[in-house]
Amino acid sequence: MEELLRMEHISKRFGNFYANQDINFSVAKGEVHTLLGENGAGKSTLMNILIGLYQPTEGKIFLNGQEVRIDSPSQAVKLGIGMVHQHFMLVEAMTVFDNIILGDKHAKGVFIDRAARRKEIEALSEKYGLDVQLDKLITDISVGEQQRTEILKALYHGAELLILDEPSAALTDIEVEGLFAIMHKLIGEGKSIIFISHKMREVLRISDRITILRLGKVVGTVNRADTDGQKLANLMIGKELTESQYEKIDASGAEVVAELDHVDFNKESKHSGLSDLSLKIHAGEIVGVAGVDGNGQTQLAQLITGVLAPDAGEVHLKGKRVAVFDPNGFIEHGVCHVPEDRNLQGLIGDMSIAENLVLKDADDARFSKGRGLLLKKRAIGDYARRMAEKYDVRCTSVDQSVRSLSGGNQQKVILARELENDPALLVMAHPTRGLDIGATSFVHEQMIGARERGVGILLISADFDEILEMSDRIVVCFEGGIMGEFSGKNPPVEEISLAMTGK
Amino acid sequence: MDWVSSLLLATVRLAIPVLLISLAELYGQRAGMVNIGLEGLAAIGALVGFLVCYITGSNWLGLLCGALAGIAVNMIYAFSTITLCANHTVYGMAINIFAPALASFIYRVYFGTGSDLKQIVTMSSVAIPGLKDIPIIGGLLFDQSPMVYLTLLFVVFTAVFFGRTRAGLSYKSVGEHPQAAATLGINVIGVKYLACVICGALSGIGGAYLTTCYSSTYTDGIVAGRGFIALAAVIFGRWSAGGILLACLFFGFCDALQIKLQVSGIAIPYQFFQMIPYLATVLVLSLIGAKQAGPRANGQPYRREQR
Repeated sequence: MEELLRMEHISKRFGNFYANQDINFSVAKGEVHTLLGENGAGKSTLMNILIGLYQPTEGKIFLNGQEVRIDSPSQAVKLGIGMVHQHFMLVEAMTVFDNIILGDKHAKGVFIDRAARRKEIEALSEKYGLDVQLDKLITDISVGEQQRTEILKALYHGAELLILDEPSAALTDIEVEGLFAIMHKLIGEGKSIIFISHKMREVLRISDRITILRLGKVVGTVNRADTDGQKLANLMIGKELTESQYEKIDASGAEVVAELDHVDFNKESKHSGLSDLSLKIHAGEIVGVAGVDGNGQTQLAQLITGVLAPDAGEVHLKGKRVAVFDPNGFIEHGVCHVPEDRNLQGLIGDMSIAENLVLKDADDARFSKGRGLLLKKRAIGDYARRMAEKYDVRCTSVDQSVRSLSGGNQQKVILARELENDPALLVMAHPTRGLDIGATSFVHEQMIGARERGVGILLISADFDEILEMSDRIVVCFEGGIMGEFSGKNPPVEEISLAMTGK
Repeated sequence: MDWVSSLLLATVRLAIPVLLISLAELYGQRAGMVNIGLEGLAAIGALVGFLVCYITGSNWLGLLCGALAGIAVNMIYAFSTITLCANHTVYGMAINIFAPALASFIYRVYFGTGSDLKQIVTMSSVAIPGLKDIPIIGGLLFDQSPMVYLTLLFVVFTAVFFGRTRAGLSYKSVGEHPQAAATLGINVIGVKYLACVICGALSGIGGAYLTTCYSSTYTDGIVAGRGFIALAAVIFGRWSAGGILLACLFFGFCDALQIKLQVSGIAIPYQFFQMIPYLATVLVLSLIGAKQAGPRANGQPYRREQR
């Protein structure tokens, strides 16, 4: 196959840290080439170099055999490189049409010739099956349609090489099928695609070749036909990863650490309320809450951590009825929370790793004098460094802002803060969402470790495989109520799936 | 009837400076620059406009130099917020404190502290033949100073620019989602600086209008809160040129009404009438505040390598 892009010996250094080191990478015409790697392996850096946001410290880029310098995003657009970012680059207050023609270079004239542009866009959308409603505002269309808009926009700006960054992350299964159909059409027309993902199943289905990155270096490039999921995973994390089988525990005789007793909250709403929900969590067990997102799981997590107060029903912590609902009281009762949105609820992005680690305990005598009056900076720093090592937080310094960490490392900071508090109950909402394999298995091992220390864990996850793998007991949440309870040992998968749809 | 028509005439005249300053803010906010320093920019524009007009006798030259002064002062805000990513409110406020003080300092240095009033000749009206004889609106719209015509034409230009042109679309995207704009090859930093040049120029002209076309003298505090009313007008006008025109006519009307009432001889202390435009501003903002929806990335710094 004819070569479209070749990146030779690319290095990118930030300070004395190499985000990319001596990377060789090429894409042929009409090929789907996957970039696979854990968070922080250097995929995004490499792509940012390709689209002109970063300048490589060393290395050359060739397009169609010609050496090119890509020193700005507009240069990349001119060279026919288009990227669909994981977080879409769409102006929400504008229509689909306006977004597509935005920054248009090939049309002439001061005014926008809407009729002519529309014809061009419609022709493209027809050709590739990119179905969009041009006159709708971005805020009014689905995530899948926003993604099609992004692809259409890249094609309209003349992209020959499309970079799709984790395109399936935000899509439903049906939308993913649609995306794959579109990708097939694109390569059929001779376009090339760089596909970034860590969903093994999808990677194996759609790729022609796969390049694996680890710690900023290329580990290898393989043809799809010559590999399988296990081999890829091993290459990616650099060690043999054996499919973990955790033992399931029956803790029904142990102390009840938390109990919800016929709890109602915002009962009328099927998707953001709870109705007549009862649930017990024993010490030393993992209770998995399965269910399609938006069936009250968010409210369940907030209620059992004291963020919300129920409209009716009772909550007991270690056998004591809770009278006042406030998060601080719950924390004092040993309830810890790994919230569903790391950046919104779990961390303060602009504060340092060290500061985030001691957020809850700043008035502890270990970290301050006079109950929080004067912080012991050095003690906090030492503690943070110990935690960073213990929880494998990869950072250049604990004074670095949490925002600058990758998702997996952010989650480890939260875990360190919550688990070091010796909780009685640990509530985890989507604890591995958006994490790569390595970070996911780290989180899971920490959960098992906590369980063995006698922590009761409530695991809320939309990832059914995770629920099956981790839970000692499984309950299904549907429209704010519990649809059924199942043992985690040999769980009846069919039955649980049905319960998730309310049957 | 005569009372009403003179009220309407004053409405238009008083709306123009607020309109100019509001348009300045519109051009700023469309590129994500929430400049609350309009009051200061207008003050320096008023002084420089007056001074140049006093020395050269040319109102036009006064307006031009008012614009240049506005741009010069606004570059402090531009450099701090765009290049240094500083807080918009802090630097806007700094300009509000600094520029009016600079204006009165220059005035005193040049004219001394004596109490005699320095005066210039305001720009004279230019009637448009034919059109001015249309009843009611003839006098209102076609027998005014050229600045009124120019400002109204500029409203039309602005509406077309943001609504119909490719450049306008790109400009708007900078205020909504600068990262997206940058990936499409739009020069975000350039547009933001351009926005500050336009904002400084229009605010400066708005201030200079007060001295060269309206009051014929310069006094401290001549802008009298119009910079803040303009901020309200942008929100009230929903970030559209047409909406802002209506909002400014409303505020102009309130201003004209209070002047009329002051001289009407009603036995109420005139200070109460003076409150009318400001009370109207507060009232309007509290009524529409709930549905506020400005450019998405307003007031946020843009860093290219942000993750």
